[in-house]
Amino acid sequence: MGIVARSRVKSPWIFHLNTGSCAGCDIEIVAALTPRYDAERLGCVLVGSPRHADVLLVTGPVTRQMLPRFIRVYEQVPEPKVVVAVGTCASSGSPFLGGQMVEGPVDKIVPVDVYVVGCPPRPEAIVKGIVTAVKKRFG
Amino acid sequence: MKNMVTEKHGETKDVEVDYARLRIPFGPVHPALKEPVSLRVTVRKEEIVDVDIVLGHVHRGIEGLAENRNLVQTLYLVERVCGICSHSHTTCYVQALEEIGEIKPPERALYLRTLIFELERIHSHLFLLGVLAYEIGFDTLFMFTWHVRESILDLFEKITGNRVHHSMNTLGGVRWDVDQSMVEEIMSTMKNLHKYVQQIHDSFQDKSVEKRLCDVGFLAKDEAIRLCVVGPTARGSGVDMDVRRDHPYAAYNDLREDFSVVVKEKGDVYARTEVRILELFESINIIQKILAKLPGGNIRVEDNIIKLMRRIPQGEAISLVEAPRGELLYFVKTNVKGGLSRLKIRTPTIPNVLGLKPMLVGCEIADIPVIIASVDPCMACANRITVVDAVTGEEETMDTSVLRRKR
Amino acid sequence: MFCGVKGETMDVITAFLLTFPIVFVISLLFDGIDRKIHARMQRRVGPPIIQPFYDFIKLLNKERIVPAMASSQIFTVLPTLAAASSILSSAILFTSVMSGTSFGGDLVVVFYLLAMSSVLVTIGGSSSGNPYGAIGFSRKMTMLIAYEVPLLLSFLSVFLKINSTSYYNAILTQVKVGSMLALAFPSMAVSAVAFLLCIPAAADAVPFDVSEAKTEIIYGPLVEYSGPYLALFKLAKASSNLSLTFLACTLFFYLPALFGDGDSLWLGAFIVCLLLALILWFLTITVPRTVFARMKVGQAFKFYWIVALPLSVIAVVLSALGL
Repeated sequence: MGIVARSRVKSPWIFHLNTGSCAGCDIEIVAALTPRYDAERLGCVLVGSPRHADVLLVTGPVTRQMLPRFIRVYEQVPEPKVVVAVGTCASSGSPFLGGQMVEGPVDKIVPVDVYVVGCPPRPEAIVKGIVTAVKKRFG
Repeated sequence: MKNMVTEKHGETKDVEVDYARLRIPFGPVHPALKEPVSLRVTVRKEEIVDVDIVLGHVHRGIEGLAENRNLVQTLYLVERVCGICSHSHTTCYVQALEEIGEIKPPERALYLRTLIFELERIHSHLFLLGVLAYEIGFDTLFMFTWHVRESILDLFEKITGNRVHHSMNTLGGVRWDVDQSMVEEIMSTMKNLHKYVQQIHDSFQDKSVEKRLCDVGFLAKDEAIRLCVVGPTARGSGVDMDVRRDHPYAAYNDLREDFSVVVKEKGDVYARTEVRILELFESINIIQKILAKLPGGNIRVEDNIIKLMRRIPQGEAISLVEAPRGELLYFVKTNVKGGLSRLKIRTPTIPNVLGLKPMLVGCEIADIPVIIASVDPCMACANRITVVDAVTGEEETMDTSVLRRKR
Repeated sequence: MFCGVKGETMDVITAFLLTFPIVFVISLLFDGIDRKIHARMQRRVGPPIIQPFYDFIKLLNKERIVPAMASSQIFTVLPTLAAASSILSSAILFTSVMSGTSFGGDLVVVFYLLAMSSVLVTIGGSSSGNPYGAIGFSRKMTMLIAYEVPLLLSFLSVFLKINSTSYYNAILTQVKVGSMLALAFPSMAVSAVAFLLCIPAAADAVPFDVSEAKTEIIYGPLVEYSGPYLALFKLAKASSNLSLTFLACTLFFYLPALFGDGDSLWLGAFIVCLLLALILWFLTITVPRTVFARMKVGQAFKFYWIVALPLSVIAVVLSALGL
């Protein structure tokens, strides 16, 4: 692995975008940063601006109101970027499938690298998903 | 001075470059918000002069979806209204169905429901306190609070198998029982938790935290009543209301003597925070009482939930619970085919978000995240108004001139 | 012009060129240690110590995005200038200690470069066209007025004490006295306290990071920066932190002075000073950002004008009186 690829794998900065999820996945993403799971030991930092991000964590089934914002945020993330769909809603739209206001799942709108399923997935699974995604893309 | 700037996607965005007033978009995507809500804040230097709240970013059409599903499927759908207070939603929904079908769940089931309810309140309040610490840049307190919160999630996992969506409720009872060893474990966790919550309480009285929380985001009592604010937000403004005491449900009727309603008069962010911290102690107390009184017997009236579902006739009912954020109301109207002809959910966040405007005006930009966090908004809850597309969906893309032409 | 006696001109130039990679490595390394200790204080494992290097290399190899609304020349040039000026300030300090040479007025230059680097960051941010960048700019200007005045007065009291504006003279004075400045003179002790109080604000660390508050204004000036520009800003910040802490420990706490004259141990003295700088970094940046909540602009401003400013004024008066 070259030094650039290694740096990319070792330093995935994540931006979390809620596209209409129930907040279950979102609290698990934040829980992944807290002392018990501590994603920062793997270099993950939760950044506040999409311009700083490498990994876009998307939760929720993509509601109609969030769709233009979602596309905009996706475009704001500089290349090379990785998209991880967190939760069953984002992966398949499951409980909200067929809803009038639901435009998802996520892979209908942007290419997704890794799906982390579960309702919600455990923090360990989310961390694994991030690491798998960057390894798959850059490693 | 107003500039229309065209971005590369052809969208236009108006940027106000007024030296006195600056309009900043706060959200829907903002690191201080875990869920999307949009505030258009107009500021003069650091002072907020006007706020416009736009909801609807998490509108998934749950009420509409519910009408196409049967009663049991809807049980799992309403659980996913909100990930933080999922047990409140299912309890409220199941209570309404039980009222329509005249099903009486056994005593033990009611106690277990209450147990999970209070555990959920602890988890939700700790969640909020952590977020509040994070908003004021106090990462260490945030980490500590969330570390404490993990012990509650462990209990959830051991009792129900899930950390967030517990799926504890079923028609006519609950799905999981607790045995004697589990009771002891909950007891010991509560003892530790009491110690940790005391530490969190002390940290929130620290001078540097106090500076950020005291005397910001005032909501006067009459204003709170006028806006129908509920839950800890109302109790922090001196409105004495709590569904657990006023309209007891589940096992709260038996536990009436064992808890008191925390009310603070001041109405600022700190008062709302303190209400929540003191409620944590009350909840710990309630849980200890529940475990001491836990009656024996079955945990549900009937194992086959489909059989039970078929027994529910056409009818309608209203059900109320006190969710961690305040009063939650369900209106359920069933039809003859074991489905729903109408489901109406009124979550506590809808009135609470309206309270944001009087709180924010007059404060500084630096206070926005703290004030928003202090009403503990749960956007996933708030955005389910079934006003179909025309209003929520189109509002963003059309400006007034387009609408005028249409008419 | 050169007032040191030890170094030949060639040696000085070699040392000066040598300091650039040293500044780069040390500042990012200290940043990594800071993050690790911060995490350990929160009961977390924390990132590896070389994490800032990973971040830096990764950011260098990312896409550059210049917003359509930004004034693109200012937006793209300023990160380089900011990084250059803060690295230069560290390099001047390091060269002086390593080669025993300095030129008159170099402390003024260092002061100017440090202020320059943080001003450039905010100007770059405000040129992005993002309203959060503009708010960050106005907040940073307020903070500059708050902490630069005590900082400048603290420098002034040192100038009065050593009768010179040259950095190496300050070190020589300590060697001559055989003690640290802050221990030897009461005026310098007060001045040191004022200086240390200003470090967290100059470093944008948590109680005073109002201009880059993440949850309030999304990093303020940095909100639109991506890739290499962000990497340069991170480097600028780390090396300006390094030069602030290094300056504080050599000006006021030159530990090698306690062990005889500085002639024989120039490299040893440099390493001792670096370790001391790390300790000061820990005390003035890591600890406050772990144990305090962020202040509001008004509160931070008040803190500096009520606590730090009188202290620095007292320091100036005392050192003018010759104490």
